[in-house]
This record gives sequence, C-alpha cells and structure tokens, in this order.
Amino acid sequence: MADELDLLRAADPVPADHPRLGDGPLDRRAERLLADLRREPPARGRVRWPHVGPGLRARPAWAMLAAVVTAVTLTLVVGGTATTPALAAPRPLVVRADATPVSLDELARRARADAAAGGESLRKGTHVQSWSLAMSEDKAPVTLPEERIVRWKPDGSHSELVVATDPTHPGRPVLRDDADGPRLVEDGHVVSRRTYPRSWSDAPPQSPPPRDATRLRAWLQEAAAEPDGLGTGELLDAVELLLDNWTLGARESAALAELLAGTEGLRPAGRVTDRLGRPGLAYTYEERGLAHLLIMDPRTGAVLGRETTFTRPDPAYGVQAGDVMAYSAWMR
Amino acid sequence: MSNDEIFAAAYREHYWAVSRYVARRLDGRTSEVEEVVAEVFTVAWRRRDDLPAAPLPWLYGVARNCLANAVRGYGRRRRLVDRLGNDDAAHGRHIEAGPDAEPPGAWVHDALARLSPADQEVLRLAAWEELGVEEIAVVLGCGRRAASMRLHRARRRLKAEIDQLCPAPTTGTTATKEQQHG
Repeated sequence: MADELDLLRAADPVPADHPRLGDGPLDRRAERLLADLRREPPARGRVRWPHVGPGLRARPAWAMLAAVVTAVTLTLVVGGTATTPALAAPRPLVVRADATPVSLDELARRARADAAAGGESLRKGTHVQSWSLAMSEDKAPVTLPEERIVRWKPDGSHSELVVATDPTHPGRPVLRDDADGPRLVEDGHVVSRRTYPRSWSDAPPQSPPPRDATRLRAWLQEAAAEPDGLGTGELLDAVELLLDNWTLGARESAALAELLAGTEGLRPAGRVTDRLGRPGLAYTYEERGLAHLLIMDPRTGAVLGRETTFTRPDPAYGVQAGDVMAYSAWMR
Repeated sequence: MSNDEIFAAAYREHYWAVSRYVARRLDGRTSEVEEVVAEVFTVAWRRRDDLPAAPLPWLYGVARNCLANAVRGYGRRRRLVDRLGNDDAAHGRHIEAGPDAEPPGAWVHDALARLSPADQEVLRLAAWEELGVEEIAVVLGCGRRAASMRLHRARRRLKAEIDQLCPAPTTGTTATKEQQHG
C-alpha cells in the first residue's frame, strides 16, 4: 500500500514527462530569454523586488539563502546497535503541578516589569542546546544532542559552531552521524565550525524582531511563511525559528510573553527544572499526537526552552507515546 | 567556465524543472507560467555570482519568491473583480465541473488543500520536486533540522487528511527515506 508521499507523487499535476513542460531541449521562447539575459549589462547592487503593498514584503532570495547558513549539518541516522545504550532518549521533563499556577498574563506582566527595569538587550545569533530524535522506518530511533552557537559580527558576517555534547551526561561519549555512518564521539567533539560571508537579508527571521506583540506576530508569520495566519502549533514553531536566530532582549521577551498570553490553547502546567538545571514555568499545548511544552523564566518571562513529545505511538518509526521528539534549551 | 557560462548551463539543465515547479503552484493558470519563469531566471541571472554548485534548490527558492509576488498580484486582481462583481471568473461561473470532470488524484489534492500553505509546500517539494531534506532546507530558507521536522509533521497531517477522505488504510509504508527530527 502506498504511503502519503507516494499518493502525492502519483497526483503530480505536472509530471516530468509532461507534454509541454517535460525535460528536453529548450524551445524557441526559452532560448530567446537566455539570449536576452546574456545581452543584459552586468547588474549592480541588489535586485529590486516589486512592492507588494502595506504590511507585505517580498522576501528577497538572498534572505532565504542567508537563513540556510544557520542550518545544522545533521545527516540521517540509523540506530547503531553498539552505540545506543549510552544514549537512551531523555525522558520528558517532570512538571510539578502548582497550587496557584502562574498565568501567561501574569508572566507577561513580570516580563514588562523586567523590561522597564532595563533587563537584557537583543543580540543577533543564538546559543542553543538541543536533543533531536532521529527516526528510521527500520531501526530504533536515537537521540542526537548538540550545542550550537551562532555569532554575528558588525560587518554582517557570522560564524557558527556546532558541538556534539549532552550536558545531562557530561563527559560521556555522544552519538553523531557523518559520511561513515553513526558513531560515538568524545563529548565536545566539533561537528562543524563555519564562517559565513556578509549577508544583506532584511526580512524575517534575519530582520530584528519587533518589540510589540502585534508586530511580532506579523514578523513570526512572515518568518514562518504562513500567509494565512498562525495556529498555536505553527506559532510555537515560529517562536523556535525566532530563538534559533536571535537572543532576545527584555523588551522582545516581553512582547513575546504578551503574544503567548493571547494564544489559544496554551495553558499553565506547573513548575519544571529544565535540562540545563534552570527553574522554569511550563505551559502546554497539545495537537495531533504531539504535546508542546514551553518553558519560561518565572522572573523575566523569557522563553528558556521547548519540548515536543509524542502523545501517541508511531509504530512506523518505532516511536512510543511519551518519547521526546525534540528539545531545545536557549541560553544567552 | 565563467559565471555566465555556468549560469547558461544551469539554465539549460533546469529550465523545465523550474517551469514545472511554477506550473504546479499556479493551479492551471498556464498563461502566467512563462511570465513567472522568465522572472525567476532574470532574478537568478542578476544573482548569478551566488549560484551554488547544486543550483536547482536555489532556483526553486528564487521561484518561490517570484511566485509569492505573482500570487499576491493574482489575489489583488481577484479582489478587484470581486468588487466589480461582473466577472464570471470571480464567481466561478466559468467552471462547469461534472462527475467525470474530476482529474486523477483530485482527492489527494483535496487532502493537500486542507493543510496549511507551509505544510503543502514542504510536501510538494518532497513529492513533486523529489527533493531531499537538505535541498528542502535550501528552498525554504531554514535549517536542515527544521526542514526535516516540518516534513515529518506535514506528512502526519496529510496522512490524517487522507485517512479521513479515503477509507482505505495507508499503513504499511513503502517509503524508504529516513526522517531526521529535531
């Protein structure tokens, strides 16, 4: 029986053997366009993009390309039988129910107070520790822990350092995957160290996040490429995208807390200690077999982390209900 | 080879793939395909110094931007004719669907249409453009990790919609690609 991608492939409205658009030599029109382009004088500066009206801005191609440079070079992983025992998937965070749960409205108020008192400032780049589940259809899932630091320089260039490490098991070997397949590496093994040239991107997620909730929602919507709006699940995905690109200041965190306070379905769950040992308040949202846990600083309202857990088993990938699919802990 | 020659080679190799990418997303508005494709390669020509060694995902990324502009323009035109109220196309009167008019795979398209635009796009890239996660990340302008997660989530949502629309089970997958999440 075909899976959903096979069904979709079979429903390709313009297949590669399409009578008019199938692969083959260029037609006269395409040849003429190429000839016209090659006669064009060399371009200077940026390509100008059509203005598309208030509130909307076409995202330049290089904006997308610039975002790519933050990609983490993970490759597909199969479960190595000799390597997995030391690397069992972390269990979900334990949430301690609070007799008087702190609402997101209250947390947003604390965040505003922190911002009014000065607080941290916005910085481009990120510092994140993550655990991500690698799944295969014929091997047991395994979890890959890593730390990623992205730092931008005043000239618009930036560097990215990715290290294999698991702070919950300091000093123990860590699973990585490279061209030779999955293997254990020493804690702190440098997975990649890259320097990227200057980027001119001025569209989300590269443009600075706004400091009020309404504009921040629009920023997140554009960053997530969801023109029809953001449901709560998509909003949380977009928040992750934001924090994978920016280290928020107090004012941006306050705007984010206010935005989250107005988000449907996100409810207080209690207190947690996150995987980096930081005290936090947990807020949950459930959708389609996944539970999202957002961990926020009880004093500043800053988002500290996000955990996504399966609430239903997925036998095709060997996943059990309660397995952690992804966990990110953001640091300054 | 000079950058111009490299661009010309990429153009010849990928012109039709980019045309199909655009056509798949213009929902039968074939008259606009050539116009958008011309814009894609015009932008790509001006940015030819940035053309990567594997240019197709990069070209798809450029096409995605050009399409966004084209679709917004189309939306504006639709709103205009809606206000004018005298355009058959605005009221769908030009469409005369009948029992035999449903094209093959229409119900899969129906299932796809129920998903968010972002879900739809990542699924199209995987199924129709046959891109891997790394290439999808290039087109979407996100990290590989994010692309992988988006694809997995979108697949789950599509499967749920298909299961609702089609009584036949879709388990017992035949796909062999592995999924990386995180």
